[in-house]
Amino acid sequence: MNLQVDVREEEQEKHVLLNGEVDVYTASLLKEKLIPLAEKPNAAIIVNLSNVNYIDSTGVGIFIGALKASDKSNSSLKLIGANARVKRLFEITGLDEVMDIDSDQREEV
Amino acid sequence: MQVQTHVDINSEWGIVAARQAGRKLAREIGFGSVDQARITTAISELARNIYLYANKGQIYIEEVSNANKRGVKITAIDQGPGIKDVRKVMEDGFTTSGGLGAGLPGVRRLMDDFTIDSEVNNGTTISAIKWLR
Amino acid sequence: MYQLYKEMLTNYLRNKSEHTLYSAQQFSKEMMVKDLSPEEMVSLHISVFKEIVEDLPEEVIDSFDLLLEVMIGYGLAHREHLSLRDRQRQLESELNVAARMQQSLLPSKELKVDEVDFGVTSVPAGKMSGDYYHYIVDEQGHIGVAVADVIGKGIPAAMCMSMIKYAMDSIPEQRLQPAALLENLNRVVERNIDSDMFITMVYGSYDPKSHRFYFASAGHEPGFFYEAATNTFHDLKTKGIVLGVSPKVQYHESSLKLEPGDFVVLLSDGVTETRVNGEFIERKDVSQLIGKYKHLPAQLMAEQVFRELERMQDFQLKDDFTLLILRRNV
Repeated sequence: MNLQVDVREEEQEKHVLLNGEVDVYTASLLKEKLIPLAEKPNAAIIVNLSNVNYIDSTGVGIFIGALKASDKSNSSLKLIGANARVKRLFEITGLDEVMDIDSDQREEV
Repeated sequence: MQVQTHVDINSEWGIVAARQAGRKLAREIGFGSVDQARITTAISELARNIYLYANKGQIYIEEVSNANKRGVKITAIDQGPGIKDVRKVMEDGFTTSGGLGAGLPGVRRLMDDFTIDSEVNNGTTISAIKWLR
Repeated sequence: MYQLYKEMLTNYLRNKSEHTLYSAQQFSKEMMVKDLSPEEMVSLHISVFKEIVEDLPEEVIDSFDLLLEVMIGYGLAHREHLSLRDRQRQLESELNVAARMQQSLLPSKELKVDEVDFGVTSVPAGKMSGDYYHYIVDEQGHIGVAVADVIGKGIPAAMCMSMIKYAMDSIPEQRLQPAALLENLNRVVERNIDSDMFITMVYGSYDPKSHRFYFASAGHEPGFFYEAATNTFHDLKTKGIVLGVSPKVQYHESSLKLEPGDFVVLLSDGVTETRVNGEFIERKDVSQLIGKYKHLPAQLMAEQVFRELERMQDFQLKDDFTLLILRRNV
């Protein structure tokens, strides 16, 4: 299982494009890239999940960590392009209530 | 007469010179070929550590004796960055260089007595003795 | 040893027999038991060799210096291997003790009540589990059941799991009020957990007099409700955020009535996230599997479902597995 994390910064907007699976093996890579972005003040982080077919609970944990960090730094975190399986995970865990998740919006890749 | 040799370590040549001095003394004292090779391997490892992590330092090689035995003592001294967690580097399976090296646990195994004294930013002193049986 | 090797080498140089080579192989085992290092072995070889072959060319003798030097490295690696093996044994035994301690956090007494048929099976993927289950009967005869799943698995998850157990023990008064209990637990978890850790949990309580089952979920994989009259499985749907994300959370409590033969199933995502040949199974595969064994007592039912899912994954559990079943008796 592999994960590729591409970050494109446009001033305050931080676009994070993920390719692959976010699981117990790849979560630390995502954490390394995502958390520093979330700690920047007044950033708008947009994570594109269009090319992510699977996220496990460790992966969800990273997004929770990012959410907490972004709250502290007055930044925002938005997830876009989640597939049905990924979306269901965020629904079951109730995180769709506290996180901005827009699965219809698919960014140009 | 007690012989003491000291070699400056600031290149791979220094490592070889230290080995040579160690082997010569070990042979004179009467160590067999296996122990000679062990002593020189220990010298190599200590000298390489100096070369890799502290850039330069010294290796002292001397004969030691107590009531009933003789031995070779190697002392490695550097003024390098020091070792933050000595217990960690003495653990098997841990080598900071990430390569296959005997490391300090190897030196301890090759020799009989082993002491290490290190202070962050103040360098490291390691001494090891092999006794003739 | 010297004599034995000398005989072997003499024999071999004379007859080159396979038999002597076989003896040498046996000899090597004995030398390892005696802790003879590779360099000492090389040295033994040279001395014996020099003795039995007169006038060895100087090059041959000198060449062993090189071999000896190389073997020192192998000898060190061998010794390190032995010491690491000892350490691994030690860790293994510590882990076994920890796993036994963890086992003691789970309820030890069987739940035996006339009104319900109860069964639970929980199997860790490794030695220690990130899953937790709980059951209790209070003075009024109400039955509380819970399944929790700590993110990740192995030792870190297991350490976190013990927190849930102690937190539950410290707030006994709401034991049978699912939503209130989760709210209290959430406060404890949120204060004590790493920012990227969380716990999911479902708590249910059954009142055998009214036959109502009350439940609330903190982001946990939904369980099933089996309705005997229509022979159908329904999702135990209820929403709530996982424990540990925000300090103040309210949980929604739902309830349903169990008729005779109806049962509820609580599970961990190790059950539903079973991968067979790389593909995830569907929830309906799980409910079908449970349905297949519904004629059995609850405990056997849970065990059979586990066995079958284990077989489907070629006996390699990827995640901790917990399945709990509570059925209203006729």
